[in-house]
Amino acid sequence: MAGSGHAPLRQSEDTILEVKDLAVEFRVGRREVVHAVSGISFDIVEGETLGIVGESGCGKSTVARSIVRLNEVAGGSVRYLDHDLATLSGEALRALRPDLQMIFQDPISSLNPRRKVREVITEGLVIWGDGHGIWSQDRIDELMQTVGIDPAFGDRRVHQFSGGQAQRIGIARALALDPKVLICDEPVSALDVSVQAQILNLLEDMKQRYGLTVLFISHDLSVVKNVSDRILVMYLGKACEVGNADLLYEQPRHPYTRALLASIPQPAPTVDPSEGNIDGEIPSPINPPTGCRFRTRCLSATSVCSSQEPQMQQIGDGDHYVACHHPVVITPRKGD
Amino acid sequence: MVTQLSVRDLCVRFPTSRGVVEAVNGVTFSLEKGAMLGIVGESGSGKSVTAKALMNLLPRTAEINGEVRFDGEDVRALAAVGRKHFWGVKMTMVFQDPMTSLNPVKKCGEQIAETLRYHLGYDKRAAMEAATDLLEQVGIPEPGKRVHQYPHQLSGGLRQRVVIAMALACEPDLLIADEPTTAVDVTVQKRILDLLDSLRKERGMSMILITHDLGVARGRCDDVAVMYAGRIVERAATETLFDRSRHPYTGALLRSIPRIDQPSHARLDPIPGRPPELIAPPVQCAFAPRCHYAQADCLELVPKTEGIGESHEFACHHPANTANGRESLAANAAAGVTVTGLKIGDGTER
Repeated sequence: MAGSGHAPLRQSEDTILEVKDLAVEFRVGRREVVHAVSGISFDIVEGETLGIVGESGCGKSTVARSIVRLNEVAGGSVRYLDHDLATLSGEALRALRPDLQMIFQDPISSLNPRRKVREVITEGLVIWGDGHGIWSQDRIDELMQTVGIDPAFGDRRVHQFSGGQAQRIGIARALALDPKVLICDEPVSALDVSVQAQILNLLEDMKQRYGLTVLFISHDLSVVKNVSDRILVMYLGKACEVGNADLLYEQPRHPYTRALLASIPQPAPTVDPSEGNIDGEIPSPINPPTGCRFRTRCLSATSVCSSQEPQMQQIGDGDHYVACHHPVVITPRKGD
Repeated sequence: MVTQLSVRDLCVRFPTSRGVVEAVNGVTFSLEKGAMLGIVGESGSGKSVTAKALMNLLPRTAEINGEVRFDGEDVRALAAVGRKHFWGVKMTMVFQDPMTSLNPVKKCGEQIAETLRYHLGYDKRAAMEAATDLLEQVGIPEPGKRVHQYPHQLSGGLRQRVVIAMALACEPDLLIADEPTTAVDVTVQKRILDLLDSLRKERGMSMILITHDLGVARGRCDDVAVMYAGRIVERAATETLFDRSRHPYTGALLRSIPRIDQPSHARLDPIPGRPPELIAPPVQCAFAPRCHYAQADCLELVPKTEGIGESHEFACHHPANTANGRESLAANAAAGVTVTGLKIGDGTER
C-alpha cells in the first residue's frame, strides 16, 4: 500500500488542487508519533468530484483537514492554483480561506448553538464584505431558499432544526463565500437514509449551479460512488487505488478495495463475498508495517510486500492506478 | 413452529414538558423459535424504544401498555422472583455503542463473570474460566490475555464481541441486537454479523436485529418489520418485503438509497419532507404528508394492519403494487399534487 508514486497525477491545465506526498504526523507522549497520513498524492481538476473512501483511522479526514490547514502538515505540498497551502501562513493563507470551504459530519455540533441561523450563514460575509462573491448580506434569504431552508426560520437557532435541515444550513454557510472548492467530510453519515438522499441531491445541484469542485470523504462505498467522478481508496495513511468511479468499482484490483466491496451488506457483483473475510485488526499507525501496509491482512502477500513498498502505477488503459505488488487479475466477463 | 415471543398492541408514551410523546403505538408481532426478525426504520421511528420496552429498560416515567408473551408467559406480569433471572438470562440485548455499554474501569473478563456469578451462581474462578471460553467462542484471539484487559485496550470490533459474549453468557433464548454494527467499519461489520448468524444457528436462539441499514436486514433476516412514527407499517418475509412491498414508505425508503450497482451520479429519489412529530400526532396515516399515494381517506383514518395471509401485513389504505394503489398514484400524478399538498412529478422536489 504505497501512496508514494505520482502516477495518478494528471498534470492537467485545469487542475485546481494538487496534493503531493502529503504527510501528517501527530506526536503522542514523549517519543511516539502517529503516522496518520504518509505520502498521499492526488489531484482534482476543476468541476470534478473526488471521493475518498476508507475505514476509520485510514487518514481520510486528516487529508481533508490538512488541505484547509485544520491540522499541521509534516511534509509534502498542497497546491491550490498557484499557492502552496501547506507552507502559507498568516494573512496570505487567510486570504485564500473563502475559496476552500468545508462541510462537517455532525451538522448540529459544527454550527454555533448560540447564534441565529441567519447569523451563522452571514458570518463569512460580515468578515469578507459583500463584494467578495456572488452573495451579499441582503441576499441571504435567497441563499437559504436555494438550499431548501425557509427564510422565515432565519431567527431560529440551530438546535431547533432536524439533522437534515442543519446540514442544509451548513451547506448555505459554506456557499455564502462563493467557494471554488467544497470539502465534505462525511456530510451525510449522521443523517437518516430518506434525508441522506435529499442532501446528496442538493450537493449535486449546488455543484452544477455554482461550478464547484468537490472533495467528498465517506466510509460508505455506495454514497461515494454516487457522488464521485474519481475515487481514492485509503488504508492506514496510504493510498491503495485511484481511478474513475465506475471503472474502479467495475474492476477493483487492489485486494483491500475488493475486501471493502465484498464486506458491504449487499456485496458488489464484481467481487466474491469471501474476499471480504480479512482477518485481524488494522495495525497501529504508531508502528505501521514495513513495505505494503496492508500486507499483514492480505491473502496475496509475499515476501516482497514486506521488503518493498508498492508504487502507484497505471493498470489497464483507463484512468485506473493501483499500488500493489500483486494486483488482482480481472478476467473479462462474457459479453464484455 | 413454536412461538418464542409474541407482542400485542405494545404502546409506549413518554410524558414530557412539551406534551406526551407517543413513541410506540400498537406494535404487534410474533417471533418463532430460532428465527431472526429485522426491525428497520429511521431515527425516531420507535425501534429502539420497542426493544427497550421488551427488555424492561425504559425509565419509570414511561407509560407502557400492551402484552408481551415469552414462551407463552406474560412477561410484564412476572413475579419479583421470576423477574430477577429473566432479563439478562433468557432475553438479552446487545447495544449499539460497545464503549458505553461496557464499564470502562472493570476488566472485560470480570464484566462477563459478573453476569455468570449473579444469575447462575458460579464461583469466582469458574466464572472467569467460563468468561475466557465465551471470549473464545465469539472469536476473540488470545482470550486468556483479553479477559484481563480493560475495554479501552480493545478495538471497536473486539469490544462489540465482548458485549456479545456477555449477552450470550447465560445462554439466552432470545437476543435483541440494537444496531450492533452501526459504530464499526464495514469489514468488521461483516464479521460481527457472520458471528451473530452462526451463534444463532448453533444455539437455536431467536434474534431481533434492529437496524437502520436495509442492506443489513436484507442479508441476514428471515422476516423484516418496517417501523414509521411508532408503528409497524409493513412486515413480511424478507424477500417479499424487498421485492413486493405494499406500503409506500417501504418502497420509497428502498429507492432513496444509493446503490452500488448504479453508475456514479445517478439521480437519487429522496423521500420528501421529514418524519412527523410524535407529540399529539393527528389521527391520520403518519406517512400521508410524504406519500405519493395519499388520498382523502388517509387524512381521516389511521389505516388498520391487514394481511395477505399470515406472512405479509401492512397498514395502508392505498397499497403500492395493487390496482387501488396504481389508481391513487395515477390520479395524484395527473393532478400534479397530492391531497396533502405534496408536489409530484417535476423531478426537483426535495
